[in-house]
Amino acid sequence: METAPEHVIACHECDLLLHDMTCQPGQDVICPRCHARLYTATVNGTERLLALSTAGLILFLPANLFPILTLEVLGQSQSQAIINCAMSLFEGGLFLSALLILLFAVVVPFMQLITLFYISSSLHFRWQGRLLRQAMHSYQQMRGWGMLEIFLLGVLVSIIKLKDLAELDIGLGLYSLAGLILITTLSSIMYNPHQLWHQIDLHRNQSDHHG
Amino acid sequence: MAEPPVYQSARSAGLIVCGDCNKLHPAAMEGEHCDRCGVTLHSRQKNSLSRSWACLITAMILFLPANLLPIMTFKVFGRGEPSTILGGILQLLDQNMLFIALVVLTASIVVPVMKIIALLILLATVQFGLQTNLRQKTIMYRVVEWIGRWSMLDIFVIGVLVALVQLGNIAHIEGNHGATAFGAVVILTMFAAINFDTRLIWDNGTDDKSDGEKDSE
Repeated sequence: METAPEHVIACHECDLLLHDMTCQPGQDVICPRCHARLYTATVNGTERLLALSTAGLILFLPANLFPILTLEVLGQSQSQAIINCAMSLFEGGLFLSALLILLFAVVVPFMQLITLFYISSSLHFRWQGRLLRQAMHSYQQMRGWGMLEIFLLGVLVSIIKLKDLAELDIGLGLYSLAGLILITTLSSIMYNPHQLWHQIDLHRNQSDHHG
Repeated sequence: MAEPPVYQSARSAGLIVCGDCNKLHPAAMEGEHCDRCGVTLHSRQKNSLSRSWACLITAMILFLPANLLPIMTFKVFGRGEPSTILGGILQLLDQNMLFIALVVLTASIVVPVMKIIALLILLATVQFGLQTNLRQKTIMYRVVEWIGRWSMLDIFVIGVLVALVQLGNIAHIEGNHGATAFGAVVILTMFAAINFDTRLIWDNGTDDKSDGEKDSE
């Protein structure tokens, strides 16, 4: 079977054929035709991703277990965590909206952290990483579907809408959520598929030699 | 004056770039699996235009119930009417919350409308093979792809409000099915954007011509 030429890459957005080039840390390689960012060089990419995804997984617990807001009116109070927002819509019969909240504000962010943790830890500790392909594919598919920052904006809009009606207390969950958003944003910036695939190729070659 | 640069696409060079890991493969491997990441190789996303049209047209139809049906009902001491998206924004304006009204207006009405118009332009120009403003169209696609998710704001607001305000007769909020239609509009437009293959913008006409593509700067 014929193989593709080496030292040639193609822009994923406009299919332009280009010569591959090495870039220094901090440099971006940009497509000359459509200006898409082709790749960047990050220093210690996997280690940073490992640190970020570990921190994210730890923060995920308080962000989801503790209430984000507590509402008090005439002595009655109601405090709710993220998951309750989905539950109450579900009970009200809005199944699609409940499912969307559950997916975009809980499931997808969690899966993203888990896959990133798996990818970075297998590369860093040189584990076998049998599922690296699947993990890379899943992360690629999930990009753009984690919407924690939009959820936070939704909470802020709700606070403003309710502030005349009742006393509102911000819970520990909301602070953890803010931290979690910082982590997920940083990790999606740090996520560098070009470099990760390069490392996965090296990793495979090494395990082939040992095996 | 310098000659405009002559560009060659991977497809015209007989190559396929993997949609997932960007590895290059010979064109003969169309339909086979990428040897690095295992994804099925396609020179262009399969049925990109028809899938994108299907999602977009469904989203346009659902846009009507999303805006005409109430999204939630806010009852204080047993009194209150169901309100639509626009009704909720007008309510915020009545309470002198101009800034937050603008945020909700942008996320719930301006962005979905602009997004539908932008996708219509992209799909129509590619469908009819119009070769103008290629770079502007690519930028427009990037903006659409980036900003579209922010329309989910309203669904999250409804979720938070319904969960918090459950105080029996004192105050009570419930969601209505306009929210379902609105959520469907948002994800359908996101799917329309994902299914649209940006490389189609840059392809010469509808069929592959093997000479290099030219772009007048």
